[in-house]
Amino acid sequence: MSRTASPLAPTTFLRRNAGKTIPLVIVITLAVMLVQSIIALINSIPLSIRTIYGYSSAFLAVSPRLDPSLTPTLVEILKDKPPVEMDRYMLCRGSSAQVKSIVGKWPFAVMAMEPGDLKYYLGRQGVSKIEGRLPQVGAAEMIVSRPVASNLGVKIGTILLKPEDNENFSRKPVKVVGIAETDRWLMLGDKKYYADSQPIPLDFVLAFTKNINEQSKFDYWAEEKLKGQFAQVFAYHQIKKQSEEMFGILYRILNAVILVLVIVITFMMGMLMNIYQTQRLVEFGLLQAIGFTKTQLLKRVISESILVIIGGWIFGLIVARGLLIIAKKVLMDPQAFALETHRPLRWIFRTQWRLRIQSLFLWRFSSWR
Amino acid sequence: MKPVLVADSLSLVYSDHGKEVFACQDISLSVNEGEFVGILGPSGSGKSSLLYLLSGLKNPTSGTVSFEGQNLHSLDDNSRSNLRLRKFGFVFQQPYLLGYLSALENILTVSQDRDFALELLNSLGMKAKANRLPHELSGGERQRVCIARALVNRPSVIFADEPTAALDHKNGKAVVELLNQHRGNGSLVMVTHDISMIEQADRKLTISESRLIP
Repeated sequence: MSRTASPLAPTTFLRRNAGKTIPLVIVITLAVMLVQSIIALINSIPLSIRTIYGYSSAFLAVSPRLDPSLTPTLVEILKDKPPVEMDRYMLCRGSSAQVKSIVGKWPFAVMAMEPGDLKYYLGRQGVSKIEGRLPQVGAAEMIVSRPVASNLGVKIGTILLKPEDNENFSRKPVKVVGIAETDRWLMLGDKKYYADSQPIPLDFVLAFTKNINEQSKFDYWAEEKLKGQFAQVFAYHQIKKQSEEMFGILYRILNAVILVLVIVITFMMGMLMNIYQTQRLVEFGLLQAIGFTKTQLLKRVISESILVIIGGWIFGLIVARGLLIIAKKVLMDPQAFALETHRPLRWIFRTQWRLRIQSLFLWRFSSWR
Repeated sequence: MKPVLVADSLSLVYSDHGKEVFACQDISLSVNEGEFVGILGPSGSGKSSLLYLLSGLKNPTSGTVSFEGQNLHSLDDNSRSNLRLRKFGFVFQQPYLLGYLSALENILTVSQDRDFALELLNSLGMKAKANRLPHELSGGERQRVCIARALVNRPSVIFADEPTAALDHKNGKAVVELLNQHRGNGSLVMVTHDISMIEQADRKLTISESRLIP
């Protein structure tokens, strides 16, 4: 007797009823794409912060409060027994400009340094090449990095800071004379120009550790040491913390929206599966009459539903990931907008509870009638 | 001959707007090994209900059905389903087949014996169409596939519920003949409203108003 596999395997039904199965998979795929797109956008906000202000992880900045003459004292405090070996301290001037993010314009620091410090700073930020040149001493000139140039649409020769521009102000028009090749966002000018054009002589301190991996350790130490001083400390970990607090409420609201969305999608998928299976009542009635148990039929329904849902989820994840990557390349990257497409672990974590909720509802909806 | 299926005082009552209606009333009968029992009755006489009670598809309100000495309705749902799959064969009024499976695959839903399934299709004149889907077959051909499905597990009893209802007279007679020829040692219980369909029956019973007429 030659034996053969049962033609009632779930895959047989799904394959041979592609006209019914494919629309169902497409609905699930679209739902997954919708959820993943929202999550990608939410995750893109902190990514934007980390990307735009990532340059600040390379140093610690300290600015005197109220009294510009305090700067030398602050330097002395920072030099007093730091916990790690230090590489350089420098005094800078600065002003602010605006850059664009996916959630609107954000302020950005234009830092002005002496030529030697500028070269060191560019090296610290991993600049591999400069198109054009560095600002000349005392000239109203600046250098920006490639992401800033893409974001603001500037080229060599563009006037970026202007007297009439409230958001990007300078006493004289400041021209871009160089573009630095690095992923970091940078806007750098000449310190002498700033010293000449700013009436208040406010120098701030940048402190660099020898080993860049120890910068964070130094930052925490300095923060503690400068407590009670008339000084404002700017450290990368503060930016991260503030960004989390700043968007905390937004995240909670969006998480609630996603949860509602997932429940709605799950209900919708459950109802679709129910309609899908109800159309087959004659088939199930026949099979039950000729000797199949309710348990066997229920297992079959559940296996088919799981295959369709898992297939839809996987396909949805792949398609959504693909579309996000295309959107990043085509729409976001030309403007240097950050779009989160590389956090699979976070996604899987979120997917786990989503699948649990979904399984619960599907069990209810697909139960044997 | 040894009785294989015995019904004793079977009744099936259902409620219709609060009124008790008998689908079967106090029916006793036995079916012997290899016997062809034809049950004749007009529409609404209770013959299909009787078939469902005898085959364990429905539970009686009172009375018992014994198959090979075992009370069918004392078995749990799974055991009864398993019994239907292994020991009984069914041919229904309509040639119900799974539309996405070929003729051969429809037969293989209840058995893994591919050789015997093909042998049955061959003997029913359907081998050439073994890989056709149901919508590519005529009504008579579909009913032949249903017969093959009913026979493939070499059942002890085959229940046929007006298997010729959807066919013309000529095709109907041919289907009954095929069923009778290929049932081997299995008993055949067929209900019909057409007496010519049970000409070959060893015993003919008549049901009227839910009762067997002596």
